[in-house]
Amino acid sequence: MEIFCLEDFKDEFDKLKVKKAYRTLEKDIIYYFFNKPIQDLNSGTRLNNSDETPYIKKRLRGSGGYRVYFLILIKKENIYLMFIHPKTGPDGAENITDESKSALYKKVLASIKTNDLYKVTLNKTQDSILFEKL
Amino acid sequence: MIIFARIFKNIKFSIMGCIAYKAEIQDTFTSVRDFSYNEKRSPFMDQERMNAFLDVILEFKDSLGEKTNKIFSINDNIDKITWYNDLDDECLKLINDLISAIKDLRSTLIRQYVSMSFLRQKGIAKEEIKKFKIAVDELKEVYEDLESVFFFLPEMPDFNETTKLLSLV
Repeated sequence: MEIFCLEDFKDEFDKLKVKKAYRTLEKDIIYYFFNKPIQDLNSGTRLNNSDETPYIKKRLRGSGGYRVYFLILIKKENIYLMFIHPKTGPDGAENITDESKSALYKKVLASIKTNDLYKVTLNKTQDSILFEKL
Repeated sequence: MIIFARIFKNIKFSIMGCIAYKAEIQDTFTSVRDFSYNEKRSPFMDQERMNAFLDVILEFKDSLGEKTNKIFSINDNIDKITWYNDLDDECLKLINDLISAIKDLRSTLIRQYVSMSFLRQKGIAKEEIKKFKIAVDELKEVYEDLESVFFFLPEMPDFNETTKLLSLV
């Protein structure tokens, strides 16, 4: 299983992780997405009614935590992290609109086609996320 | 002679005043002593009353905790509905009814939360009430998502087109 992300995700992640209010973010992402079979990620709210390419919104750390939007390409066993936002704290925001969900969805398709993505991996000690531009 | 009479009169009044004061002080002393004695015998909250009071708070915390877990469980079940495929009109009608029922439930739960404000102000069951509010907020989010998934996003041509194109990747 390989994990990629859009620039939108990386930008938000980089912005949030340095803030004290979101110090658990990196750990939460690592815990949820890494070192597990892809089937275990088939939970949360599936937005697109697709078994092969589920577009998922996941609540991390419950109601007051984060919302992660991601896509799974089951055939390729790839995950695409699209966007993240906290619900509370200085950057806390309401849920994104349906229009934004649709725009993100189009964007991930375009990015997959053009390879405009970052590869997301962990460092040796598995406690820090690394981004590598493709 | 007149002077002595005046002095005598003043002394007499002074002694009478002291006697009156003494009685008042005595009365006050008696009431304080009785009050103190009674309070020692029957404190504001004896152990039995205190236990009963704490039991009620614990019972409230437990029941609120159970309710919160039930809401979280409903939220998880609502999430699972978004993974069902090929739903027909009848299923969609049921989902529509479900959304209305959840909205109704949420209004009731919000009213309950508001009625707990005096407890929150006193710091009673603060954590339990906070978790309850989190669960109720999440309930709102899941019914809004359910509505999006089954009624709003499928009506967006761009969205459907993207799903089609992604299946070809």
